[in-house]
Amino acid sequence: MPSQSNIKPDLSVDFAGIKLKNPVLTASGTFGYGEEYAEFIDLNRLGGVIVKGVSLRPIKGNPPPRIWETPSGMLNAIGLENPGVDVFLESKLPFLRKFDTAVVVNIFGYSLEEYVGVAKQLDGVPGVAGLEVNISCPNVKAGGIVFGTDVQAAFLLLSAVRKATKLPVIAKLSPNVTDITAFARAAQEAGCDGLSLINTLLGMAIDVDCRRPRLANCTGGLSGPAIRPVAVRMVWQAARAVKLPIIGMGGIMTGDDAAEFMLAGASAVAVGTANFTNPRASIDVIEGLEAYCIRHGVPRILDLVGKVETI
Amino acid sequence: MISRRYKLPSNRFQKATILSHARAGRGYYRLVLRASETASAAVPGSFVMLRVSANLDPLLARPFGIASLPTRSSIEIYYRVAGRGTGLLTTMEAGQSLNLLGPLGNGFPLPDRAVMPVLVSGGSGFPPLHFFSLKAGSRAHVFIGARDKDCLPPAPVVTSFREHVAGVHITTEDGSAGRQGMTTDALAAFLDKREAGSLIVLYACGPRGMLAAVSRMASEHGILCFVSMEERMACGVGTCMGCSVSAKDGGYRRICREGPVFDSREIEWGEQFPVKMKR
Repeated sequence: MPSQSNIKPDLSVDFAGIKLKNPVLTASGTFGYGEEYAEFIDLNRLGGVIVKGVSLRPIKGNPPPRIWETPSGMLNAIGLENPGVDVFLESKLPFLRKFDTAVVVNIFGYSLEEYVGVAKQLDGVPGVAGLEVNISCPNVKAGGIVFGTDVQAAFLLLSAVRKATKLPVIAKLSPNVTDITAFARAAQEAGCDGLSLINTLLGMAIDVDCRRPRLANCTGGLSGPAIRPVAVRMVWQAARAVKLPIIGMGGIMTGDDAAEFMLAGASAVAVGTANFTNPRASIDVIEGLEAYCIRHGVPRILDLVGKVETI
Repeated sequence: MISRRYKLPSNRFQKATILSHARAGRGYYRLVLRASETASAAVPGSFVMLRVSANLDPLLARPFGIASLPTRSSIEIYYRVAGRGTGLLTTMEAGQSLNLLGPLGNGFPLPDRAVMPVLVSGGSGFPPLHFFSLKAGSRAHVFIGARDKDCLPPAPVVTSFREHVAGVHITTEDGSAGRQGMTTDALAAFLDKREAGSLIVLYACGPRGMLAAVSRMASEHGILCFVSMEERMACGVGTCMGCSVSAKDGGYRRICREGPVFDSREIEWGEQFPVKMKR
């Protein structure tokens, strides 16, 4: 292991053609469109912001209760509530464009045509650095997870989105599958430029006194530190199966957690649920990652990628 | 009516030291925190998010309404043990500190001088109304309802209400304190008896069913009603979308961001998650 150095490490990453000043992004659905947390942190410090999922038309979302806390994690079933791509372009993107940070737009739809429609509307829009295609939301029956748990459907959808845009296309995969590498390969064959893993794990909690599900939607997506080992494992598996760069996410709270994902094979990371417990979490992760590099004498953050030693 | 938005302080995320923490009676705990930036920006109706543990479990912060500002640099909170988070909170002692985010949310719009504010508190909904009574209380009446006398606000809070408002009206469902019955029945009698032309605005905080009843009553009497609402929250700032409540226009409102105080006409009261009593 290299010795400690005091040289400021190079944290910059070129992720599938997207220039990131550091490998830390905020995960979709945990950071809105940046407005709320701009009151607490300097968005200019972030590698990038992956915005809350955007669809062709506005989506109302699921009835409450929508969240439930679980051991070291939480279940959510928000139902992809969003104002639609027109409102996003009109009143959300202009705010984010004021900052020097990469804006990746998470997109989803209820049919292949809707995915393609959103992708086309965002193609060539100044200030949009890339698309993250959500084929994995567990909380919407028709949208997302249908494409995310069928390899052939995923391939066809991602191929269609690929043809609809010149932007880098990042496929956000579902962990709710038996073999994540089959989906990673499908994304690669479809011409995607990168992967995001993982989305939430499908879960459920029951109020035993009332004999009712805790969520009105019955099931929800599990996130937070509780799922981190699953996420690290899937990043590690996918990284060995395909050449695509990976944004690793799932319960990252600290710089060391981020380093764990990078050692497993991620070229960038996203901070999600941690934002809820600490509005400064993404900044803490950037600073923690830098401290990790200094502590371990790592001159460039990319030197970490995939360097877990498995003998 | 004055503006409901306040200027954001520079730092709403801080370590807050516990100045005092003790049982307050009737199952409540009183917690006073040193949080000068929070105190300087708080308005009646504001809430804070407190992390009760530095560990990963429980993971999420809990929302608490502000009951008063004992000094210019401190905030007062009342809570009961409702689960693991508040259970852990009871073990924290003066001198220790908690991660605090706030003040968050909007506040109750302060009425102008011609208005008689009528405050309606159900169960543990009294803290934001108590804060409000300190600012706009001299002409106000407070209706306090609870299941039984042990569920009323702690005695010092009731005393403080009496000192700051024109009238305190207590009802309990079992008659163990005050008048027997529902607080909404007492409120209905009060509204029926009011002088013609008197300007009343309702301010309510409590269980969802009570808020719905008060809201209905307000629309029947053609009077304004502001409700402070509660829901489970993850972030407290509007990003998790977890605390949404159905609105009349068919959409949702985030209680933490667009609320917690709403004009009751904005809320869709008919479409709430059905409440089921414990077996």
